[in-house]
Amino acid sequence: MSGARPALSVRGLSMRRGAGRSVFELEVEELDLWTGGALAVLGPNGAGKSTLLRALAGLDVPRRGRIERRVAGPVTMVFQRPIPFAGSVEHNVKAALSGQALPRSERDERVAEALEHFDIARLAGRDAATLSGGELRRLSLARAFALRPAVLLLDEPFDDLDASGQEALSLDLRRAIAGTDAAVVVVTHDLRRALLLSDRIAVLREGRVAQQGEREDVLARPVDTGVARQVGMSNLIPVRFEPPSHAVVDDQHRIPVLPREEPGAVAWAGIRPERLKVDVGRGEGQPIGKGRVLTVVSDGVAVTVTVSWAGHELRTHLLAGRGLARTIAPGDTVTLSVRPEDIHLLL
Amino acid sequence: MNELSPILVLEVTVRTLAVCGLALAASLVIGLPIGVWLGRRRFRGRVLGVSLVNSGMGAPPVVVGLLVSMLFWRSGPFGFLEWMYTPTAMVIAQVVIALPLVVGITLAAVGALDEDWELQARTLGIPPLYRAWLLLREIRLGVLAAVIAALGGILSEVGAVLAVGGNLAGETRVLTTAILMYTQMGEFELALAMASVLLGLTLVLAGALTVVQQGGRS
Repeated sequence: MSGARPALSVRGLSMRRGAGRSVFELEVEELDLWTGGALAVLGPNGAGKSTLLRALAGLDVPRRGRIERRVAGPVTMVFQRPIPFAGSVEHNVKAALSGQALPRSERDERVAEALEHFDIARLAGRDAATLSGGELRRLSLARAFALRPAVLLLDEPFDDLDASGQEALSLDLRRAIAGTDAAVVVVTHDLRRALLLSDRIAVLREGRVAQQGEREDVLARPVDTGVARQVGMSNLIPVRFEPPSHAVVDDQHRIPVLPREEPGAVAWAGIRPERLKVDVGRGEGQPIGKGRVLTVVSDGVAVTVTVSWAGHELRTHLLAGRGLARTIAPGDTVTLSVRPEDIHLLL
Repeated sequence: MNELSPILVLEVTVRTLAVCGLALAASLVIGLPIGVWLGRRRFRGRVLGVSLVNSGMGAPPVVVGLLVSMLFWRSGPFGFLEWMYTPTAMVIAQVVIALPLVVGITLAAVGALDEDWELQARTLGIPPLYRAWLLLREIRLGVLAAVIAALGGILSEVGAVLAVGGNLAGETRVLTTAILMYTQMGEFELALAMASVLLGLTLVLAGALTVVQQGGRS
């Protein structure tokens, strides 16, 4: 984020939606959106993701606190359901630019560029009402990007798309984000897509920010088990920490961790699936014992292997069609290994 | 016995078109924003407003004529305007008849839009006037349905215009009141001539609007 500066700063924000028993409150003490950066907002349903997005878009008025614009330029939002305007695809993008006093040539250039970017230039003359779900999403994004926004808010941009549609759109969206200086916020329940697009992560829970920070930091060091599950650290094992460098699961099972000083603490050891290795040679971590393969599921790209170890079900990923992934089967006995630096202790 | 004169028919037809055209234009100018507002906003008393509109869609024209007459009667609250038995009073009566139709059909069309439509337009920074234009494009089928219903309602209406206009020759006589009068007088040739023009107008206008409406359907 070299040269990045805050585009939007949230301070002491309090939002309230609904009434009576269904009232929902969102409290965000501090959150910054950076120019040229993309923040993924993760969280379970009802955590407040959409409420936050609407507040950032200025659609709802905060009860308390403030959202400060630090850069000039439009703040725009792409809704979860694509909402086309009546008329052609090209008209839709032009309509979005109606609020900007642009010379006709520049306007046409921006329209063409946005349609090209999202691969819908061939549909320019088509009535937007006849587009497929995927094409409509591309139109919504093209419309927003044509504005050259200072802040771009995306609510579940991959919702209802099939796998190949998601794949193609996420790559186009990633390229579009990389080519802009906008501060982007992506709300999505799809962790993989979120990671593809973002450099920062904020995890919401029950209307509060449970954790926020650089992507790698949040992925590797979630603050609690809730955040850990949300960011894909699915292997969570209850342990007792034994200084200086062991997490004890039971009499037979111990996990090597980096040395630290917290004697006797009851804790959780978190291991990201991609950091847990099965049947590898030397130099790839320290063995923690043998486990039995329970399930092997492939989506064509990755193989998810579930292994029973010390009474827990641990998950790991292999690359489909390569090495062990071609031969591993349920019932196999495998050796599990991890590197101490890949163990995250939640004390 | 009255002569069947093309000039007489033309004069009555032109007045009919002028009164109905003005009434329709006024109904649209007043009714479209109210319909959009009732269709998009949620507020206390909205249901009451919508029920009033729905009831108004079926209001008997003769009752509307009676109420408008009471307002503009010499001793009524607006009697000082001296609009009774003038085309102005007829336009007002027809607006009262057409307004609920325009509002009701518009609010139904707007209600069918995505609830975030306006927010999406706002977050794209589209200026209010252009937003209103986009909204009209969006609900154009409904708006044309409202125009067809309103025009049909006021063009064929006789009770209200007779009550407030009085069917004065050369002043407030329109096709429907003329047909009624000539029928009662047994002047069927004249009544039939006026009826043919009215029927022709209804068919041509409704047909043309339907062509526009269906042409706009994607």
